[in-house]
Amino acid sequence: MLQFKLVLLGDSSVGKSSIVHRFVKDSFDEFRESTIGAAFLSQTLKLEKHEDVTIKFEIWDTAGQERYKSLAPMYYRNANAALVVYDVTQPGSLVKAQSWVDELKHKVGDQDLVICLVGNKLDLCEDNDTVRQVDMGDAQIYAQEQKLLFHEVSAKTGAGVAQIFQEIGEKVYERKATESAASTAHQSRKPLNVELQRPSTNDSTSCCV
Amino acid sequence: MEGPPSGESSSLQIPAANTENPAGFKGGLPAQNDEEELVYDFQAFIAQLKDPQADPVLRYTRSFLHNFTTKKDLWTCEEQQKLIDDFKLFVYGKLALYEPFKSLDSGKLLNAKEGIEKLIMGKLYARCFSPCVENRFNEKTDKSHREDLERDEQLRLKRDEYSFIEPEMLEIPESLTQRLSKFTRLSGRELARINEYKAPRDKMVCVLNACRVLFGFLKHSGLENGGADAFVPVLVYTLLKSDVHALFSNLNYTERFRFSEFLRGESAYYLSSVQGAADFVTHLGHQSLHIPDELAFEEQYTKHQEYVLEQRKKSAKESATEPDTGPLKDTVVSTASHTPAPSEYIRRPLDEATSAILSKVSELFISSPPAETTDNQQERSPSARLSGEQSQEPDPAVLVQELQRQENQRVLDELHLMFPDMDQDLIQDVCEAKKYRIGVCVDVLLTLSS
Repeated sequence: MLQFKLVLLGDSSVGKSSIVHRFVKDSFDEFRESTIGAAFLSQTLKLEKHEDVTIKFEIWDTAGQERYKSLAPMYYRNANAALVVYDVTQPGSLVKAQSWVDELKHKVGDQDLVICLVGNKLDLCEDNDTVRQVDMGDAQIYAQEQKLLFHEVSAKTGAGVAQIFQEIGEKVYERKATESAASTAHQSRKPLNVELQRPSTNDSTSCCV
Repeated sequence: MEGPPSGESSSLQIPAANTENPAGFKGGLPAQNDEEELVYDFQAFIAQLKDPQADPVLRYTRSFLHNFTTKKDLWTCEEQQKLIDDFKLFVYGKLALYEPFKSLDSGKLLNAKEGIEKLIMGKLYARCFSPCVENRFNEKTDKSHREDLERDEQLRLKRDEYSFIEPEMLEIPESLTQRLSKFTRLSGRELARINEYKAPRDKMVCVLNACRVLFGFLKHSGLENGGADAFVPVLVYTLLKSDVHALFSNLNYTERFRFSEFLRGESAYYLSSVQGAADFVTHLGHQSLHIPDELAFEEQYTKHQEYVLEQRKKSAKESATEPDTGPLKDTVVSTASHTPAPSEYIRRPLDEATSAILSKVSELFISSPPAETTDNQQERSPSARLSGEQSQEPDPAVLVQELQRQENQRVLDELHLMFPDMDQDLIQDVCEAKKYRIGVCVDVLLTLSS
């Protein structure tokens, strides 16, 4: 099964962990394979657009507190996807999410990473739109400019949550498929060129290290 | 006993080849995880390697070790990593061709792959683990290995400087503070055991156990959904309050020499977390802390620095009066810091089981004695010394059992200390049901005590 690493980024109050817990809880799957409760979760997902393809997400949570921001690179290295979460009811929340996007683009690069911008706590605006502090249009335009996936969701009701993971799943899967097609075309070797003579089975001068 | 009892992370799980531990052995206690508990069995692998049909695999391994140690005295870290990785890929491919490996099921094959990693890293430890490299080559040490040592030293100094800080300065919720130090100390002790093993997997398991203790604690403090927001501050606190020698060297060694396919999932997450937390501590300053009262903090800080200085003077005095214990003494003194002697890195008795098993097969790795002696003289490294001490060759099976018993007793003692009000028999039952894996035991005992 193909495995993809997904890293969660966002302020501590935006509910990024709740989105993942919602996703894991709502997932109907015959191969339940998630470790719940921790900061690391794994969850398999059947891709709707690709029949018979099941992938596995390894979801890495990060600490959202400002002072622990410097730890993030340890988590997003080698990630295939990033979920950058903000809170639609918090003014300034989108700006913080944008700084994460900038950092990712700067440090990881677009070609390797699928980024999805997610506005959480949609449920709070449903009855009373004055609660909303981040305009959906603004976020959408930003996401288009930066070529990000974009969704508004509610971890509380579950609205939109499944779609995020479906979309990310499809995108990382398609990238992987093109990538592996390309790499079989011309096999690349590791750059570092050190070799011992090939280990042989008839080496008489063996030793004990 | 082959390494610390692990948690149940998928990437570390090795099916039991050991019939002494039937998988059905579970008490009626709350099951933390239904996954089958699996045991890693190095002895079984060595038995397979001794099979005459496995001779090609043995020869490949021997030839690799020979070339690695004779072609060049000092490889750079990057070269080492590549050579070892390439060899593992190569020899793992060969397992599919030769009996008895060829017909192993996937779980036992994984065990064999782990066995090979443990075998070669046990043999090459003194050349790959930065503090040992430093002791062998001193100023000739290459950049990456040297950097490990520098970072170890920076971390140690920062830890000394800031070890006084309070939980709230790291944004640890107040609800945790009551039991915090108890659990972080336990976690720190588990992590410190990373220096008792040579195999990357075994070191990894120490990291995993340390993190699991913290997660058990968080879970039972109402923060089960706290994720990294709850975990990271507590982990940082643990590193600040505990004394783990050569942490960066250990983490980097684990990352470099653990076969990449095995280094994923939950264990990779924990390894990155500890690396991140250690990095945080290394760069710790007033600005990275939450300080409600600047003045009071400054006062505390100054007082603490005086204390640290005093302690250093004291320990310098003590070490000066200590009798000269060995030829390594002067290199240790010259670094003028708290660099432990290499023998401290492999403390008894945990890796002895491995050495004992290995010494049984050492004849497989020895050929002509003359070539042996020259190589061995330069090779009087900690690991060589250690295996040298095994010359009386105790029966490995007996020793393994005895070490397992000691390890179980240690876990039991730790848990008695953690849960003094709990019935001793109950603790023992939990330990047996959970195979003495400390992270899981803590979790179960917390469930029972709440």
